[in-house]
Parts: sequence; C-alpha cells; structure tokens
Amino acid sequence: MKKDVPTLRTCVLLCVSLCAVVALASCAGGLRRDTIVIGSKNFSEQALLGEIVAQRLEARTHLRVERRFYLAGTYICQQALLAGRIDMYVEYTGTALTAILHDPIEKDPAAVFARVQQEYKQRFGLDVMPSLGFDNTFAIVIRGEDARRLHLKTLSDAAQYTPGWRAGFGYEFIERPDGYPGLVSTYGLKFGEPPRNLDLGLLYRALLDKQVDIVAGNSTDGLLSARDLVILDDDKHYFPPYEAVPIVRDDTFTRHPEVRDAIAELAGKISNDEMRKMNYEVDGEHRDAADVAREFLQSKNLN
Amino acid sequence: MADFFIKHWDEILQATLEHVWLVGVAMALAIAMGVPLGILITRRPWLSKPILGSANVAETIPSLALFGFLLPLPWLGVRADRLAIVALTLYALLPIIRNTVTGISEVDPAVREAARAMGMTARQILFQVELPLSVSTVLAGVRVATVLTIGVATIAAAVGAGGLGEFIFRGLAMVNDQLILAGAIPAAALALTADFLLNLLEKRLRPAR
Amino acid sequence: MNDQTNQPVLEPIIEFKNVSYRLPNGQILLNETSFAVPRGETLVLLGRSGAGKTTALKLINRLLEPSAGELRVEGRETRAWDAIALRRRIGYVIQEGGLFPHYTIEENIALVPRLEKWPNERIRPRVHELLALVGLDPKNFSQRYPHELSGGQRQRVGVARALAADPPILLMDEPFGALDPLTRSEIHQEFRELQRKLGKTIVIVTHDINEALLLGTRIALLDAGNLRGIYSPREFLKSSEPVAAAYVAQLHMLAETERGAERG
Repeated sequence: MKKDVPTLRTCVLLCVSLCAVVALASCAGGLRRDTIVIGSKNFSEQALLGEIVAQRLEARTHLRVERRFYLAGTYICQQALLAGRIDMYVEYTGTALTAILHDPIEKDPAAVFARVQQEYKQRFGLDVMPSLGFDNTFAIVIRGEDARRLHLKTLSDAAQYTPGWRAGFGYEFIERPDGYPGLVSTYGLKFGEPPRNLDLGLLYRALLDKQVDIVAGNSTDGLLSARDLVILDDDKHYFPPYEAVPIVRDDTFTRHPEVRDAIAELAGKISNDEMRKMNYEVDGEHRDAADVAREFLQSKNLN
Repeated sequence: MADFFIKHWDEILQATLEHVWLVGVAMALAIAMGVPLGILITRRPWLSKPILGSANVAETIPSLALFGFLLPLPWLGVRADRLAIVALTLYALLPIIRNTVTGISEVDPAVREAARAMGMTARQILFQVELPLSVSTVLAGVRVATVLTIGVATIAAAVGAGGLGEFIFRGLAMVNDQLILAGAIPAAALALTADFLLNLLEKRLRPAR
Repeated sequence: MNDQTNQPVLEPIIEFKNVSYRLPNGQILLNETSFAVPRGETLVLLGRSGAGKTTALKLINRLLEPSAGELRVEGRETRAWDAIALRRRIGYVIQEGGLFPHYTIEENIALVPRLEKWPNERIRPRVHELLALVGLDPKNFSQRYPHELSGGQRQRVGVARALAADPPILLMDEPFGALDPLTRSEIHQEFRELQRKLGKTIVIVTHDINEALLLGTRIALLDAGNLRGIYSPREFLKSSEPVAAAYVAQLHMLAETERGAERG
C-alpha cells in the first residue's frame, strides 16, 4: 500500500493532468488557424447555401474550408456560432428576430434586417451580412385545381373554406409564435379538425395525395416549381420577411478580412425562382448539393 | 472508413477536444462538490437520505430530458456548453458521493479509534487517515462517473453543446454512416481509455490489508 | 519527564469519584465508581465482558464523557482538559492494534511526536529507541508496513507507538488478547521489564486472570458496572469476595490442566 505522501502526490498529479487536459481542450479553437468552418441546418436549402458559401470561399481565398452541415436546427447553429465551432452559417432574418432575439414580429424587410443586424452585433458580437437575394417566407399552399375552381388568390379569399379543409403543418410552424397561432388569428381561420403534424418532407406529397388540403411550406420549396401547386398570397402581410443572410463571427472577419469581401459579392445574387429550382434539383432530382451549387456559381461567374 | 478518419482528422480531433473539455470541467466540479458532500454525510448520517436522494433523482431523469429542463432557464440556456456542463456535473455526483461515503465508512474502526485516542483532531483524522485509506474507493466512483459522463456528453450535442455527439447527430440526419462512426468510435475509445487508466490508478492505490 | 502540571508527586494521577456512564437508552455501563490510581502503579481492570472495564478506560482519555461524577487526570477534571491535549499525554493500546495500514512502522510510531511537532532529528532516534525497547530490530522493521508483520510484532509496535511521546499514562484495552498463548507469555515477560524500566502509570483492561495477577500492582474487579473491590494480587488470591473467588477457582483449574499437559 502506498504511503500518505505518494497518495497525495498521485492525487495532485491527477488534478494537474485533469486541468492540463481541460486547458488544452479549451484551445481547440486554436487548431483551426487557417481553416474556416461553415455550418448549416438540416435541410437541403441550407446545405445548398452552405455549399455556395463554402465553394465561393474556396475559390476566392486561400483558406481551408470545412463543412459542418446538417446541424439540428436554429438553436444548435446559434450555439455553435457562439462557441466558435462554426464561423458562419446562413440564417433567415425572421427566424433570427423571433426565435433567437425573441423580439416582436415586424413586417418591413428593411426594418427587420436593420434590427437583426444591430442586435446581433450588440448582444452576440456577430456580423449579419446583406441578404443573398431571396425571401424564404412561409408559403401557404393549396392544390392548383382547388385554386382555379374556387378562384382563390389570397389567404383572405381562402379563409371561408378552411372549416372544410384539413391542414398539414410542420412541427416548427405549429410551435413558433410567428407561425400557426398568429396565422389563425390574423386571417380568422377556423379548421374543422386540429392540423396534422407532418414531417417537412411529406407535406407536399400529402397535399397532392389529397390527405390534406392546405399546407404551410416554404416559398422556395423545390416542388413548387415542378408541380401544380399554388401559393396563396399573404395579403395581410402576416408573415415576417425571411431573407437569407450569412451570419459570421466577428473574430472570423478580424482574422480573415478577405472573407468579408468574398461573401459580400454574393449579396442579392439568388432570386426566389433560382433557389426553388436548385432545391428541386436536390430534392426532386436527387442531385448532389455540391454539384448544383457549383453549377450555380459558375453560371453567375462567382467562382 | 480509415480514409475518412485520416482525411478529417483535425475535425475529429477538435470534436474530441470539445468533448474532453465538457467532461473534464464537469468531472472537476463533480469531484469538488461530491467528495466534500460525501465527507459531510459520514459526519452527519441523517444527511444521507436528502443528499443521496437528490443525486439519485438527478441520475434517474433521462439525460435528454434533463437537458430539456435546463434549456429554458435564464443564465443556463443562453450557452449550450454551460447547460451541458451543469447537467453532466449533476449526473456525475451520485457515484462520487456514494463512493466517498462507502470508502470512508469502510475504514477499519480500530484504526479510527486509535487515531482519535492518540489525540488527532477531526481534521487530522480526515486528511491523514480517512481520505488516504479511501482514495481507492473514491477513485472507483470517479471512474464510473467519468465513463458515464463521456457517454452522456454525446447526447449534449443534441442541445448544441458540440463534442463527438455532433458527428453522430449530423450523420443520422444525413444518413451517413461514416459521420456517425466518426463520432461514435472516438467516444467509445475515450470511455475505454478513461476506464482503463483510472482502473490502473485505483489498483495502485488500493491499501494492502 | 515533561510533567507540566504542578501536582505534588503523592497525589493520585487518575482519580474516579462517583463516576457513572449511562447510554442514551438509559442502560448504565458504569455505576458510581470511585477509585484512585497513584503514580507509577499498574492497575488492572478485571471483569467479564460487559463489566464496564473498557468503559472506565475510555472515560480516562475522554473517548467517552462521564454522565455523572468527577474524573480527574493529573489533578484536573477531564472535562476541563482540552481533549486533544489530554489524549496526547496518554498512550493508548488496543487489542486490534489499530496501526495505520498506509504508514510504515516508523511513521506509525512517530505519529504523536509528529503531531506534537517534534523536530525530525529527535523523532528518528526516538523511533529506533522504542523499537529496540519492544524487541524489534529497527533496521529490519522501521520501513516495513503493518501487514507484513505478525500479530505479536504488530502489538509490540502498538506499544512502541503508545510510548513514543513519553506520556505519563498508558491505557491498554485487552492488548494481548489476540495473541497465541506462547507469544502472549513472551510479551508478558517483556512487559514486566518495561514496567520496571519506565515507571509509567498503566491501566490495563483484561478478562484474563493470569495476566491480571502477573502484570498488575493492583487489581480492580468490576462486575456489571460496579466496582467490587481493589486488591493486590496476593489479596485477590485470598479474597472471599464471590466474583474474585470464582476467578481464583478457575485459575486453579487452569493451573492443574497446564501442569497435566506439561507432564503428559
């Protein structure tokens, strides 16, 4: 049996090594000196946007670009950004406003952008870059045949028919303050039965198969450009803007100023239509997101 | 598979270090709190029920649920790693407290009596007799807690705390086996290594009878 | 000797005055006991299990607190002593030894001197002196660990440890009970030598009449918490007190058996 002194010595050694290991581990960030990490959420549009940003940086800077895609949601991405595990990802202004900043909803895109940019800088030290050009707001979608038959163009038009319709919404839409609850109160919608909670990927299939009659999708969903589906106009401007903006850590720009210019040139380069088409190529035609992104950049001379 | 590891070695290393950081801080806190609490229980046995009871409750709550409970709290929910470390610390407490109590209780009563009779103060008895003689048992508790914490830390990625679990969750979302293994294998290796090393230390410190 | 009290040499060094000890549940382990131990005496507390002898012993170094009565050590009530200081002036030896398994023999013996902050240069030779005193070769034993020693050797170390800081009083609770008869006998002889040499005041608890007669200058007979009487060995052998007589009768039987074994 070891004496008192070696036991004490061993315990001290153990504590010191624990501290050393932890200290070393906390410098994990230092590893990535000339590397930049791009994050994305876990759906195809995000992976596409992530690829577009990543390939742009690969083309225009000497940095090594790492992809950390398919992070499980807004909160996860935000945490990863704050902790420095990723350097940037593309967020939507409306989501940033309500889900992260917990600010009340606003409708004017310019006001929302300004608000988000200011508060992100103040509260988190994060830089919000100008929009990439499209607004991925919620799209309330019905079948083309119903739209034509009932002469429906706007959500106000459709309100009277909702009691007879079954609705299908994704989980986040039902829970978010800027989602289902506000929609119902703004347009006075009444559904005969509570809305079905459907996986995002199954919404349109269910709609086309007539299992549901109205769904909340996204305005840049690929399938919208390829099927007989109609987006009901948000005539009361309920949905806030969801402009796609790259959000970057301040110290990333400090360490690599060339990144700012490379990203800035992407501003306004992607239209709603173009985003929809790219989404369809990935979701509908099962093409690789990296290839689709590359083609897009080439077509715009951005790589 | 080996190619994947080689190609992405620095990402994997970074995730491993994040993981070690989470586990390391949590273990340090758990030991700093758990050992004194264990000592306290040996001095005031009536505290055994409330303290061990609470630690047991924390242990019984499924880890993901515990993360979920802590998420809405004001200071904790803001940073996921803070949240994860608090949850991990709570998980690690029970084995450490329990083993501290056991280790100290198992000190030979004759030794304790002799120590007291020779005029050692309570403090001297604690530091010169009870703790040195129970180090091995306490270390066994630390070992169990460490392995447990390494495992639960993989779940912490679900709430954004990073670490090796992030590979696993991303791999699941992308249906990519390589990513999943890139998280799972190092996590398992960490746990096995910690277990092995602490076991060695435990054996070395065990008193001969 | 570092005798810090201003006590005249003739005062008893330990004095019980109507001392009682009661358990929380009301059971009385020691009942209004009074006796005095003069300096230099070896008092044996003799009795059956549960007679109260260990209780009486533990009251002396405040491992237990008296429920009633006055107990004085070196002229001062134990209640008035600082418990730690009191215990460091009293050596304590128990049956199981209680050596620290994670300390070497040297470290075990050096315990109280270290607590008393003796300088290192004084401790080492003292340890060696004590090991020699109890019949263990310092070169051989000082760096060993308790588990490497035999029972008898461990008890010797226990005695050495109790004597290390040169306390005026030594308390022993069935110190040789766990030893085999041959070893015990050996140690008894050595112990008598030690008594002669050191002149300490010793209180020994035992239920072994042989040991009592051999080692004690006086025997205090306890039975069910009560003190039956205090006798010199000679007085004890001739006593008509029932419990004492019972012991003596048993002694004769034992002697017969032993003699028979020797012859056979």
